[in-house]
Amino acid sequence: MRRHPHFESILTVVVTWALAVVAHAGDRVDFWSFQPIQFTRLTGGTAAIDTFLQQGLLEKGLHFSPAADRRTLIRRVTYDLTGLPPAASEIKAFLADGTPDATRRLVDRLLASPHYGERWGRHWLDLVRYADTSGNSGDFPVPTAWLYRNYVIDAWNADRPYDRFVREQVAGDLLPSNSLEERHRNIIATGYLAISRRFGVEEKQFHLTIEDTITNLGTAFLSLSVHCARCHDHKFDPVTNKDYYALYGILQSTRYAFPGTEVFQSPKDFVPLVSVREMETIIQPFERKVKEQDTEIERLRQLTLTIPPGEKRDEAVVEYQKAQQDRVALLESAPQYLKAYAVSEAKPVNAKIHIQGNPHDLGAEVPRGFLSAFGDDRVLPDEPASGRLPLANWLTSPRVQPLLARVIVNRIWQHHFGTGLVRTPNNFGARGERPTHPELLDYLAHGLIHHQWSIKWLHRRILDSRAYRQGGDSQLDSRTRDRAAEIDPNNLSLWTFPRRRLSAEELRDTILLFSGQLDRTPGKGHAFPPEHEWKFGQHTPYIGSLKSKRRSVYLMRQRVKRHPFLSTFDAADPNVATGQRAESTTALQALWLMNNPVFHALATASARRLLSTARHLSEDVVQHAHTALTSHPADKAELQAAMAYIRQCVLRDGSADEGRKLERAVASYVRVLMSSNLVLYVE
Amino acid sequence: MDRRQALLSLFGGSLLIPPSAAELLAGDDIAAGPLQPKNPHFAGKAKSVILLYMSGGVSHIETFDPKPKLAADHGKPSGVKQFLGPHWSFRPGGECGAPVSDLFPHVRECMDDICLIRSMRADHISHMEATLGIHTGSFSVKRPSLGSWVSYSMGSVNQDLPSFVVLAPQLPYGGDQCWSADFLPAIHQGTRIVSSSDPLPNLTPIASEDLQQRELQLLERLNRKHRKSRTADSRLAARSQSFATAFGMQHAMPDVLDLSQETAGTLQLYGLGEEATDAFGRQCLVARRMVERGVRFIELIDTGSNAPNNWDSHTNIPRDHPPRAKAVDQPIAALLQDLKQRGLLEETLVVWTTEFGRTPHNDGPVGRSHHPHAFSSWLAGAGVRAGMTYGATDEYGYRVTENEVHVHDFHATILHLLGFDHEQLTYRHGGRDFRLTDVAGNVVHDILV
Repeated sequence: MRRHPHFESILTVVVTWALAVVAHAGDRVDFWSFQPIQFTRLTGGTAAIDTFLQQGLLEKGLHFSPAADRRTLIRRVTYDLTGLPPAASEIKAFLADGTPDATRRLVDRLLASPHYGERWGRHWLDLVRYADTSGNSGDFPVPTAWLYRNYVIDAWNADRPYDRFVREQVAGDLLPSNSLEERHRNIIATGYLAISRRFGVEEKQFHLTIEDTITNLGTAFLSLSVHCARCHDHKFDPVTNKDYYALYGILQSTRYAFPGTEVFQSPKDFVPLVSVREMETIIQPFERKVKEQDTEIERLRQLTLTIPPGEKRDEAVVEYQKAQQDRVALLESAPQYLKAYAVSEAKPVNAKIHIQGNPHDLGAEVPRGFLSAFGDDRVLPDEPASGRLPLANWLTSPRVQPLLARVIVNRIWQHHFGTGLVRTPNNFGARGERPTHPELLDYLAHGLIHHQWSIKWLHRRILDSRAYRQGGDSQLDSRTRDRAAEIDPNNLSLWTFPRRRLSAEELRDTILLFSGQLDRTPGKGHAFPPEHEWKFGQHTPYIGSLKSKRRSVYLMRQRVKRHPFLSTFDAADPNVATGQRAESTTALQALWLMNNPVFHALATASARRLLSTARHLSEDVVQHAHTALTSHPADKAELQAAMAYIRQCVLRDGSADEGRKLERAVASYVRVLMSSNLVLYVE
Repeated sequence: MDRRQALLSLFGGSLLIPPSAAELLAGDDIAAGPLQPKNPHFAGKAKSVILLYMSGGVSHIETFDPKPKLAADHGKPSGVKQFLGPHWSFRPGGECGAPVSDLFPHVRECMDDICLIRSMRADHISHMEATLGIHTGSFSVKRPSLGSWVSYSMGSVNQDLPSFVVLAPQLPYGGDQCWSADFLPAIHQGTRIVSSSDPLPNLTPIASEDLQQRELQLLERLNRKHRKSRTADSRLAARSQSFATAFGMQHAMPDVLDLSQETAGTLQLYGLGEEATDAFGRQCLVARRMVERGVRFIELIDTGSNAPNNWDSHTNIPRDHPPRAKAVDQPIAALLQDLKQRGLLEETLVVWTTEFGRTPHNDGPVGRSHHPHAFSSWLAGAGVRAGMTYGATDEYGYRVTENEVHVHDFHATILHLLGFDHEQLTYRHGGRDFRLTDVAGNVVHDILV
């Protein structure tokens, strides 16, 4: 028998693994995903990924596919890292680069592009169910939610160490900072907590918002369904009912910015992004005035409710109404400054257990703390603050790191290969799938931690692998392909590079780019109606339709009504943590590509661009379009079909204007090409 | 001559690119087509299914499963909670006399056409999982939905409409996983229509008919060439099929959604024009029109996952259940009557269900919690014993005491009524055969004609 070159070390891992599994069978706490990371030291450096994968391939009698051709590779990498197709000049340069490091340099260039954060930040935004609206019954616009969105994009671009990124989002406002700018950035990061969904018409249902935060904390960082423990101990995973309320207390001790509800239309508790001096001399005095006014309004409201009908009550009602008008006048004189949709500290309290999840039926008080399965240092008995900073520290502590690292490694892997090493990216608990390649997962998790949690290190390592650079199944002869597909139909062993459809964002951005209309500048806030005009409620929720030519990551995303294009092409639902998007194929998508007026207009703009240099139809027109959209020139058959098609369109066009005829014909061709599988899929 | 034939004949004369019928409609590798009607395992009574799914968990003990003992013990302790008596009285319906609460006065009149199951059981207490379970048979991860299995097994007799349509104004728990094809060929995924004034965007052609046809022809040439070396990927053929369907839908969908062809009497019957019933009435009427046109599986979802605007009445059932019931009661009764009157009920299976029932004890002050251990669903139409009540729960409605029908049994029975053996209807995926009913499920023969 031929042995694998790293047979020994792999064997060690497998044995350790098996022993761990056996030793802890029946012991609920000792999940594979909680275990210390098993690091296998392999020789061969960057080839490590392939070494692990080859072991699985060998067992099945399979092999990697031959390397992808350069055009396929540059299209794949460019979409993967930036969500945009490569420009013709970039393809040309890559093809011309004969040095062994050409692909590495390509990857470095793309990782340094600002568009990298726009694509990979979006993956994170899927997970934290980012939206520009509150999600309550009025779906209130949140004018400064975008600060958090851009923070995420910037953080990915800056390759912020992942552990740091986690800490900032949970407790940025409590972290030390070296400058006012950094302080503001850290505050904005806690927008992660503030964007939790809001419910109902009043504030009474805030326990649901806290549940939503806990759900997301558990899912996004740890891939654990912590929220299942709201009513009882988790049925499958080692999360107790007490654990849930230990976390609950921390969030209950946190003040979330309030976006407004049907009953209380005015936003409050946003965190001012100003200097300490401005805070003390301008903002705090103003806020005190508003607070006094609110107290007065509430006093008068109670008065109108308690005194019996009659003259006295009428007077009170008049006074009450006047107090409300005064509040409006006061707000009109409000100092102007940027306010982050973020969190701040509230009065520290321990939560009481909601018996069977019922917030009106309170049980024992639980000290604030974390998940007990990770050890006994979980409780914060005398925590003088909310406990968010200890929570952030705990999430990134050595006890939790193995899970934290495995989860993010799996997500990054999945976004490159379509499927994670753990196929349930949001569930690393008992009900989730086991990793297909546990040693590889741990190898990368170990590497991530030891490379200062650099995600860009992880990208480089993955993109350097033979597994990533291999070709798609179309390059295989049919016998090899059919055999491999029979043995491993889901390609779990990665015998070929999997094909994927363009995401909603990639499709829209590609169309805009090709038409010459993409605005590449980063987006900021949205053109929401001004706050004083708001009157949103369950029957009249905010419904926005805001046009933009910026990249899709900057489009306004609403919770109650989803963006029609984005949802048709499977963009994430901003109500739930999406770890992996669906990839549907529907007639509604086909209808969009056939009949959407905006798409038609953009195709016309594309045709104009294509014809701006050439007055007449030439093969260059087709080749230019084909290369820009597929990264490959049209072959002979495709070229002939395209040319014949365009000519026929011109012939059949009854109008007198020759120039417009050609333009219309080319626009039609462009629409067809963009609708084809050549463009819609990356492989 | 229908539009499709017109299209074919038009292109039969084109010299530029000699087309074949297959090429025009989608490539020859799929013309034989995943949506061609397939042969059933045996003769089934039902040709199509309308699934009426009530989102959020309907209280069985306040709709179809009367519990006098629960009323009598109202306020008494039940564990740490208290028994909560039903908020509505029950009255016998139809000649069979099956008692139905005052929440469903119209459906009550149809009990002679309905086979009521009072012994349903699900496996999960949370909405998302239970909703996924009733839709896909899987209470954990996404699997192909019931509608997708029906589309896969039955195909479509109308190539201009999707074989599986979901009329859902809002997303249910689990979102579009509820109508996902998962590992079945993607073409069997449900097409969701938001049943409002703008049911389906981009339905109106911009290009002239002639141009659009040529565009689709070129598209299929490109796709077919692309597909040639990528035969293992069903998504690519499904993409072609999706354009063929979309082309037909441009005409077929406005037609099926156009209720102006219905009589005033029909509109009134379904409660159109009435604020409470208009929305679901439209969904029901469109469902009947889709059945007439050969759509295989039509799911109507009454509302979404936004509690308490669905059936998830934790705190206040008397406030939250009535508007939901009012919205669907008359339209559902109208659908049954209308199908029957047109002779369509004999070959249409109407299924009414929710994801789980609600607890006999209170949750909030006058609300109830989730209860997967017992709930009620019903079937009507093709092959089902009408006027029958099947199964029973204990005197409070906590547990099934007689003839339990697990969700897997429910699914097995539905497939049986369509002519398919749930153990034989499999799809090979990941090296093994998958079924809608996993490794469980028994056909409930007692409720079949």
